[in-house]
Amino acid sequence: MARRPANGQAPAQFALDVRGLTTSFYVGGKWFPAVRDVSFALKRHETLALVGESGCGKSMTAMSIMGLVPKDAGRVKAEAILFEGQDLARASEAKMREVRGDGISMVFQEPMTSLNPVLTIGFQVSEALRHHRGLSRRDAAARALHILDQVKIPSAKSRFNDYPHQFSGGMRQRVMIAMALACQPKILLADEPTTALDVTIQAQILELLRELKRETGMAMIFITHNLGVVAELADRVAVMYAGQIVEIAEVAELFARPTHPYTEALLRSIPRSDRDTAELYTIPGQVPPITRMPPGCKFADRCAYRLDRCQAEEQQLAPLAKAPAHAVRCWRRTEETQPEMVVVDA
Amino acid sequence: MLAYVARRLLLAVPTLLAVMTLVFVLVRIVPGDPAQTILGDQASQEALMAMRERLGLNRPLWEQYIDFLRDALSGDWGNSMVTGHPILQEILNVLPYTIDLTVASLIIGALFGIPLGVWSALHRNRLVDYVTRVGSLLGLSFPAFVSAILLLLVFSIELNWFPVISAGDRSSVGEVLENLALPAINLGLIMTAYITRVTRSSMLNVLGEDYIRTAHAKGLPNRAVIWIHALRNALIPVVTVVGLYLGILIGNSVLTEIVFNRPGLGKLIVGALSQRDYTMLQGLMVIYTFIIIIVNLLTDLTYGLIDPRVKYS
Ligand SMILES: Nc1ncnc2c1ncn2[C@@H]1O[C@H](COP(=O)(O)OP(=O)(O)OP(=O)(O)O)[C@@H](O)[C@H]1O
Ligand SMILES: [Mg+2]
Repeated sequence: MARRPANGQAPAQFALDVRGLTTSFYVGGKWFPAVRDVSFALKRHETLALVGESGCGKSMTAMSIMGLVPKDAGRVKAEAILFEGQDLARASEAKMREVRGDGISMVFQEPMTSLNPVLTIGFQVSEALRHHRGLSRRDAAARALHILDQVKIPSAKSRFNDYPHQFSGGMRQRVMIAMALACQPKILLADEPTTALDVTIQAQILELLRELKRETGMAMIFITHNLGVVAELADRVAVMYAGQIVEIAEVAELFARPTHPYTEALLRSIPRSDRDTAELYTIPGQVPPITRMPPGCKFADRCAYRLDRCQAEEQQLAPLAKAPAHAVRCWRRTEETQPEMVVVDA
Repeated sequence: MLAYVARRLLLAVPTLLAVMTLVFVLVRIVPGDPAQTILGDQASQEALMAMRERLGLNRPLWEQYIDFLRDALSGDWGNSMVTGHPILQEILNVLPYTIDLTVASLIIGALFGIPLGVWSALHRNRLVDYVTRVGSLLGLSFPAFVSAILLLLVFSIELNWFPVISAGDRSSVGEVLENLALPAINLGLIMTAYITRVTRSSMLNVLGEDYIRTAHAKGLPNRAVIWIHALRNALIPVVTVVGLYLGILIGNSVLTEIVFNRPGLGKLIVGALSQRDYTMLQGLMVIYTFIIIIVNLLTDLTYGLIDPRVKYS
C-alpha cells in the first residue's frame, strides 16, 4: 500500500508492520495456503482485532508472526514482518527466541492445557524474566509476584508455588497473561483468550486486558470470532475470511458501515440482549477448507450479492472512496456504484 | 507421606495373607505326595508314613493352615525339601544378589534409555531415530542368554576384564561391582531398549502438547523446553512401564544368572520348580509378592516426585 515508505523500515508509529504474509501447510503431498498475502500495520498502543469464523487463519497469522508455525508441516513466507527495525520474516531462530516472550508475547485460547502441569505457576511466570532479563531466581520471583498481583490472582504470594491444576480456568488464563506480560512486551498477541471460559469470567478477563493495556501502553492484536467483544476492546478491526483480510477499518467506521458482505453477515450474527437468541442469524455454508479454495472471491458461494465475475477473478483489498482508511476486498462494493450503501447512507 | 507409606504397607498385609493362603492351598492340591518326593520311589511304606507324620500331612487341613501361618509369621518358613536348609535363610542369602542386579540394570537402563529416547524423539523419522528404534527392537528381541554368552566371550574370556563366574564373595564393594558388571550390563541392555522406546513415544506425545508451544512462545532455549518442560511430563508413562517391567525382571533374570553362574531369586525359583521343592516354592511366592508390593509402592512414590497432581491419600 502506498502509505508505506519503501526503505524497509517501519514508520516509527508502527509497532508491527506485516507485509504479504503467506503461510502454507503441506497436505497430501501439496502446499496449501492457510494465510494468503496478509498485510496490515499495527500502530503503537493500538488494539487491532482479527475477526473471522473458525478456520479462517487467525491463529496461523499470529503464529506466523511469532515464528511458531510447526516446521514439519508449515511454511511461512512474507515480504516483511517489521518489528523494531528488524525483519522477523528473515530472522534466525535464535533471534526469534530473543523476540518471543520479550518484545512480542502470546496468550493462547486453551488455558486448561497451555500451562505446564508439573511446574509451579511461580516458576512458569519467572522463567521468561530469568531467561530474557537474566534476573536471579530471587529477583525474578519478586517481579513475577508483582505481575501475578497485577493480573489479580487473589493472595498471589501464598499461591506462588501452587500448580496449574489447583487453579480454575479463569485463574489459569490470568496466569497465562501474567506470563506473557512478564517482560513488558511491546506487542501482545491474544488468541481468543476468553473463548474457553464462562461468560462472566470472559468479561473479567476482557476488563483485565483492557486495564493492563492502558497501564502498559502495549499494542495488542486481539483474535476473536465474536464481533461483540471487538466493539468493547478494539481500535481497529481486520475481518479475515479463508486466509485473507476482506475488510479493515476503524472500529466505529466498521460498525457504522460494514461493507463486505461477510462483515455484514458477521454483524448480523452477534448475539444481542435485546433480541431473542433463537432468532440469531447464522451464515449459511462453511469456510472452504484450505485444500479446496475456490478461485476468485472465497466468500462468493455463500454471498447473497454474488455475480459471475466474483467467482471468476481474484478480488483486491481496496480503500473506499469516502473513507480511505477503510479497505474492502469486494469489487461490487468498491468499484460499482454502491446501491446498498447509498440506501444506508441516505 | 510417611503416613501414606505406613498405610500402603498396612494394606499389603491382606494381600500377603491372601497369597499365603493361595500358596498353602495350591501346594496341597498339586498332584504328587511331598513325602514321596522327599524320600524317593524306593521308600518303604513305614518311612512314608513317618515322613507324613513329621510334615504334619495327616492332620486336619485347618490345623495345618494355622500352623503354617504361625510359623511363617515367626520367621520359620520350614526347610527345603531338597537341601534341608531353612528356606528363609536360603532366600535371604540370594536376595542381595537379585537386588543388586535389578537396581544396577535399572540404573543402566535409565542412564542410557532416557537420553536415547529423547534424542530419538527429537530426530523423529531421521536416521538416528531409525537406528535407535531398530537397535532397541533388537535389544528387546535378542535372547538374554545369547547376549550374556557374547558378553562373557568378549569381556571375560577374550579381554579378561571380568571374572567368568560372577558368583561369590560380597566382602568388598569392588568385588561386588566386578561380579555385577557383566550380568548388569546384560539386563541393563534390555532395560535400556525398553526405556528408550517408552521415552521416545511418550516424548513425542508431550512435544505436541499446548504447554510446549507456550514454552516456545516464551522464547526459552530449546534445551530448556526439552529438559525442563517436556521430559518431566514424558517420564510419567516411563515410570509406569518400568515399574511393571521391574517385577517381571526380578523373576526372569534366571538365564542371566545361569550363564554368569550367579546366585539369585530366578535361579532359586527354577531350581525349586524342577525339583518339586514345595516348601521352597511357598517361600519364594510369598517373597515375590512382597517384592512386587514394594516395587509398586516405590513406583507410586516416584509418580509423586514427578507429577504434582498425584496425591498421597
Ligand atoms: N498443521 C496444519 N496442517 C494443515 N492445515 C492446518 C494446520 N494448522 C492449521 N491448518 C489449517 O489452517 C487453517 C487456518 O487455521 P487457524 O488455526 O489459523 O484458524 P483460526 O482462524 O484460528 O480458527 P479458530 O477460530 O478455530 O481458532 C485451517 O483451515 C486449518 O485447517
Ligand atoms: Mg485459532
